[in-house]
Amino acid sequence: MKIPTSIFALMSFLACTLVLAFPAPAASQTQNVCIQCHGSLEGRLGKPVQQWQGSIHEQDGVTCNECHGGDPKDAVNAMSPARGFIGVPEEKDIPGICGRCHIGVNRDYLASAHGKALGKGGPSCVTCHGNHAINRASLALINERSCSRCHSYERAGELKDAMVKTETLITTMEDKIDTIRKGGTDTEPLEKALFSARNQFHTLFHDVDVKKVQNESARINRDLGKIDASLEAILKKLHERRIAGAIAVGSALLAALILYLLRKTYEKN
Amino acid sequence: MKISKKTYDWLETRLGIEELIGKSLKGYLLPRNINFWYSMGSILLFIFALQVITGILLLIYYVPDAEKAFNSVKAIMNEIPFGWFIRTCHVIGASSMVFFLLLHMLSVLFMGSYKSPRELNWLSGFMLFTLVLAISLTGYLLPWSQLSFWATTVATNSVGTIPLIGDFLLEFLRGGKLVGPPTLGRFFALHVAVLPVTIAVFVMIHLFLVKRIGISTPPFGLDDTKNRWDDGKFRYEDHPGGIPFFPHYLLQDLTSIALYLAIFVFFVFFTPSLFFPADAFIPADSLRTPAHIKPEWYFLANYQALKLFPNEFIGIIVQALAMTFIAFLPFLDRGKEKHPLKRPVFTACAIGGILIFLALTIWGHYS
Repeated sequence: MKIPTSIFALMSFLACTLVLAFPAPAASQTQNVCIQCHGSLEGRLGKPVQQWQGSIHEQDGVTCNECHGGDPKDAVNAMSPARGFIGVPEEKDIPGICGRCHIGVNRDYLASAHGKALGKGGPSCVTCHGNHAINRASLALINERSCSRCHSYERAGELKDAMVKTETLITTMEDKIDTIRKGGTDTEPLEKALFSARNQFHTLFHDVDVKKVQNESARINRDLGKIDASLEAILKKLHERRIAGAIAVGSALLAALILYLLRKTYEKN
Repeated sequence: MKISKKTYDWLETRLGIEELIGKSLKGYLLPRNINFWYSMGSILLFIFALQVITGILLLIYYVPDAEKAFNSVKAIMNEIPFGWFIRTCHVIGASSMVFFLLLHMLSVLFMGSYKSPRELNWLSGFMLFTLVLAISLTGYLLPWSQLSFWATTVATNSVGTIPLIGDFLLEFLRGGKLVGPPTLGRFFALHVAVLPVTIAVFVMIHLFLVKRIGISTPPFGLDDTKNRWDDGKFRYEDHPGGIPFFPHYLLQDLTSIALYLAIFVFFVFFTPSLFFPADAFIPADSLRTPAHIKPEWYFLANYQALKLFPNEFIGIIVQALAMTFIAFLPFLDRGKEKHPLKRPVFTACAIGGILIFLALTIWGHYS
């Protein structure tokens, strides 16, 4: 059977268009070779990748080479000391490595009893925070099971009690800000104030002076109270808006009902 | 004689108000079996008017400058009295307009009202639909937030996939290689001047056609549900013994508008966050791409469909063909039957199309 010339021409045109339309195969995306390789391994060498996945570091894009050095873009030289690979860091070097990003926290830690005991049986960052499965720092890290590995829990418990109220306040206020922001209200000044108060609060996390922590927490709570009052004022305004909204919805529905009944009356007549 | 009576008589002498009301309102008869779906047009006119009013109010404080746009919108939301209300109404109004346009078009499809001699009504309505999508897209960029910036980047990228002229078109649309201040200027001009005027013109054409040809008879509750129009000569479809537009159907229109208003106000006051994703409150940053940027709900189906094709250009061509098919449906579907149950192939295809649209929208949302 002979194919008509017009159909042949049309099919040729479509084929050319499709060929032109397909993009040239793009080079494969650059990936992190540490994760690529270790992620496929089982046991001791693959476990760090599994632990890191879902951690706060993964969420923030902090990958293996930030702590272990090396070149994550070059599979051949990824673990070359010439590319800065250090492998498992020495315990005494850990605060310095973490401190490259967590500058203030490192300063607080080094000034604390824990920091001063580094290398003499005292804890490094990973002792309490873990190394790969790191979660966002919270008071949950201070617990009897963890602290009792080195000393009694009594003082740690007192420190935690002094800080619980502040942390609860901060968490509640973060939720309030989130709710308010979603409605389009500008929360930037309040977020900045809360950020500042939270940072001050976090400087207490590595302090082991109970009296000082209690006094500082009380002062921060007063500052947080002012921010919370502003948040409550906004929430009250939003609540009032909703009451106005409910009245408006009710009025519109009532108008619809009256108009409907009016129409029915005309229909009968 | 009272002054009001004197004024009325003066106007009556000059305008013939009684004759006008008698002829255009009370004497304008509609089919007796007319239903609720015929009031979609009135709801749409109401939404369009509300969009124009809120748009003009927003224009007073909005600054169409990439450096100032975001802060001006922030000021509208936080400092200007009732600014939050006006902007929220405008944002939700835009979505409502698309939603009710879809409902209007679907009711016209299922009741067969697009059939001869109403091809031009359908075409002008379809043009209005595409213009409303265009005005929504251009308005999306104006707040100059991360959401607007990146959604516009994604939406305009598709133009660049057209072979040979894609790059030129993309640059013409954006005013540069990337979305930037010139894009804002272009989209602002389109959004506040070109598109509203064009929409108003098409609304007038649409209304003129509706009035000139007459209201179509719905196929429900009748024995004979066939299209009675005889090809060849113009004939106004009148409805002797029908219900008068005033006050009967005007009250139906007002009831529908009041019901719409109740739903609309509910969204404005109780769920504004549905229409404002988190990225809508972050200023545009060309160096930081948000993780999951997605278009508005009415573009989600197109967005997801594009991902299903091996090449974006093919996806665009297929969608353009589908849109062209819908636009010219009255010229292709020449059957006389109007009742949806008496034309099962059409109804099955239409329901299938709706299901595909919904599935792609949900898929696009969760992808």
